[in-house]
Amino acid sequence: MQTSELMQSYLVDANTWDEMSTDATVREHYKNAVEFLEKLSIDDLNKREEFAKRLFMSQGVTFTVYSSGEGIEKIFPFDIIPRIITSSEWDTIEKGIKQRLKALNLFLKDIYTNQFIIKDGVIPADMIYSCPHYLREMHNFPIPYDIYVHISGIDLIRDFDGTFYILEDNLRTPSGVSYMLENREITKRIFPYLLPQSNVRSVTEYPTILHRNLVSLSPRQINNPTVVLLTPGIYNSAYFEHTTLARLMGVELVEGSDLVVDNHKVFMKTTSGLQQVDVIYRRVDDEFLDPLMFNPASKLGVAGIMSAYRKGNVAIVNAVGNGVADDKAIYTFVPAMIRYYLNEEPLLKNVPTYQLGKDEEREHVFKNIDKMVIKKTNESGGYGMLMGSAATEEEIDIYKKEVCADPRQFIAQPIISLSSAPCYMAGKLQPRRVDLRPYALCGPSGIEIVPGGLTRVALKEGSLVVNSSQGGGSKDTWVLGPSSGGF
Amino acid sequence: MLSRVANSLYWMSRYMERTDGILRMLKINYASSQDEIQEFSWKPVLKIFTSLKEDAADALAHDTRAVLQFMVIGKENPNSVLNIVTLARENGRSVQDHITKEMWQCINDFYHIIRQDKLAETLQSEDPITTLDSLIKQGLLYFGTTDVTMARGEGNSFINVGKYLERAIQSTDILDVKFSDTFFQLDKITDTTYWKYLLMSISGYELYLKTYRSGFEAKKVVEQIILNEEFPRSVVYSINQLHRYFARLKHDRNPADFNKIDFMIGKVKSKVKFSTSDSIVHEGLHHFLSETKKSFFEIGTSLNNNYFAYS
Repeated sequence: MQTSELMQSYLVDANTWDEMSTDATVREHYKNAVEFLEKLSIDDLNKREEFAKRLFMSQGVTFTVYSSGEGIEKIFPFDIIPRIITSSEWDTIEKGIKQRLKALNLFLKDIYTNQFIIKDGVIPADMIYSCPHYLREMHNFPIPYDIYVHISGIDLIRDFDGTFYILEDNLRTPSGVSYMLENREITKRIFPYLLPQSNVRSVTEYPTILHRNLVSLSPRQINNPTVVLLTPGIYNSAYFEHTTLARLMGVELVEGSDLVVDNHKVFMKTTSGLQQVDVIYRRVDDEFLDPLMFNPASKLGVAGIMSAYRKGNVAIVNAVGNGVADDKAIYTFVPAMIRYYLNEEPLLKNVPTYQLGKDEEREHVFKNIDKMVIKKTNESGGYGMLMGSAATEEEIDIYKKEVCADPRQFIAQPIISLSSAPCYMAGKLQPRRVDLRPYALCGPSGIEIVPGGLTRVALKEGSLVVNSSQGGGSKDTWVLGPSSGGF
Repeated sequence: MLSRVANSLYWMSRYMERTDGILRMLKINYASSQDEIQEFSWKPVLKIFTSLKEDAADALAHDTRAVLQFMVIGKENPNSVLNIVTLARENGRSVQDHITKEMWQCINDFYHIIRQDKLAETLQSEDPITTLDSLIKQGLLYFGTTDVTMARGEGNSFINVGKYLERAIQSTDILDVKFSDTFFQLDKITDTTYWKYLLMSISGYELYLKTYRSGFEAKKVVEQIILNEEFPRSVVYSINQLHRYFARLKHDRNPADFNKIDFMIGKVKSKVKFSTSDSIVHEGLHHFLSETKKSFFEIGTSLNNNYFAYS
């Protein structure tokens, strides 16, 4: 039987939660998909994998790598086997993220105004002021509806017993949502008929909700406010995402040089003169946003945009200065924030985190360094981290010295093994480690999370690093509807 | 519409039109080179479509394989099909949200096809017409997709303004360079294959046969390529279309810019429209063509200054 051919070699690591199988049997919520896949020959699966690649290439879902003066188009690796999440698992995730975002929003409001959380001794002042993304310029800055985090991508992982943990909060300009949408479209093409029979919840609402939220932020109470998406330009690696979102929402995609500020109002330069802009969904980082206030050498931003923002003539999404809330050292305090602001117990746990600024914690970490991962607090994308289990003595020594020079800039976490999910590789299913990034949208009417997200995969066997910059790929992510069976 | 977006749409369209023109020229000239008893010269083609210096063009002029290589996939040739399609794609990529997804995929596919290593091989070792035909079809797919899917708004107008301005320039160029071979002495050309290939390269051969029953005559070829309002590659047809699409850009908010360019297009349109083949010969073909071409370039510059410039 082909059944065994595809499945027999699927060997799960004993100390790892596998999304599909438990004790060599297939979990209930994967049965339908596995049954479907088993009917296909290896040849057939290879063809579909090839087809998926072709689709990505032809649609320009690519990023460009420049070498020797020539651009080479690459696709972000895509694994054809969907990752499936049950309705009840999703329930937990959804409630947990909503709760967390509520607290984080209140924290940002507080930290840029009254700072009660410092005064009440919940977070030490030096933790805040030593954070490079804490922006003094944002103090007492009027923020429409007090919403700072309009769009977030919070990363979740699962430990060996299946418990979800929050790995990090991305509250600035999280990327990847176009892959959530695109991966689903690809699945529709490579596995026709599979989705409708699998009770999978749709993700297509995302751009509609986002657009509705953006429109509702317009400072001018007019019928058709002008919403734009500000991109750093076609050389940005996420450019595909910017065009996709602009297209799906039907808004103008602009670059910094398309905008100009006059009398504290933002305008775009059109073929029929200047047109006032009301809402800017920016994919440009804080420090490049306004050369008059931040990095003076920035050409990606717009001179004077912050003054228009302060005057309330334009809404900027996400708010400026959010970096203080997704800093990896501040992360440790999020459970305390939830208790402080909401008087609730956190629904989703943090990964235990050690502050290397504290002597005893640093010593503990150095003693157990082979079980630890050390990260820089202000880096992302998997850069600047040390996996204690995989590093050489020498690398560890060098890293330790770096840590001791400025311990505030580092945190450590015990290595969490990450759950595994089946991937189609070399003609069979093989387990690879995955994480999950759902995208939450926060507007004046509340927080909404589209049922789905981006599942990132560490494609190398045994690897725990899923970042695309470190050789990670992605999968379509299915959240099942509640009516499917008893789970 | 953003000035930057209008600019990109306009150039995307110009480059796609130019791609089509170059490929057609290559196909027909290749066919002609296989028919020639004496050694065939690519020099007129190189003069119209590349910026090669005189001696470099001379060195290349008789090597058909090398010319095809240089014109289709030559990385060092800024006007090779490869580089032009790349530019069209870069422009299209930056305005993906203003063209339809189908159009973008079409240009993107073209780009991936022209970059295949296989293409270099087949161009050299197999029948070049097959290869050129497949590329021409890819371009036609773009024109058809644009026609069928693109909304008839401002974006579409800029696309067509770019397309017909490029075509008008190309048609004048083709005549200018082809006739420079014969020092503009129209009555000196008697070889009919020459006319046949010139007309075929811009798809005007069959129309010529239907219009003029008395065989090939230089003046009649000039008449068709410049003055025939029904011939889609004629100068006058291109100007008419240019004017038609430009007129749609009229807007209450920039009357001065609009009127200026409208006047320029109107002026060159009247000049061409109210010429006859006799009056052109009388004025001197070369003079007529270079004056007309100058007007086109001025229109391009004004579009840039009044509609695309970041000011």
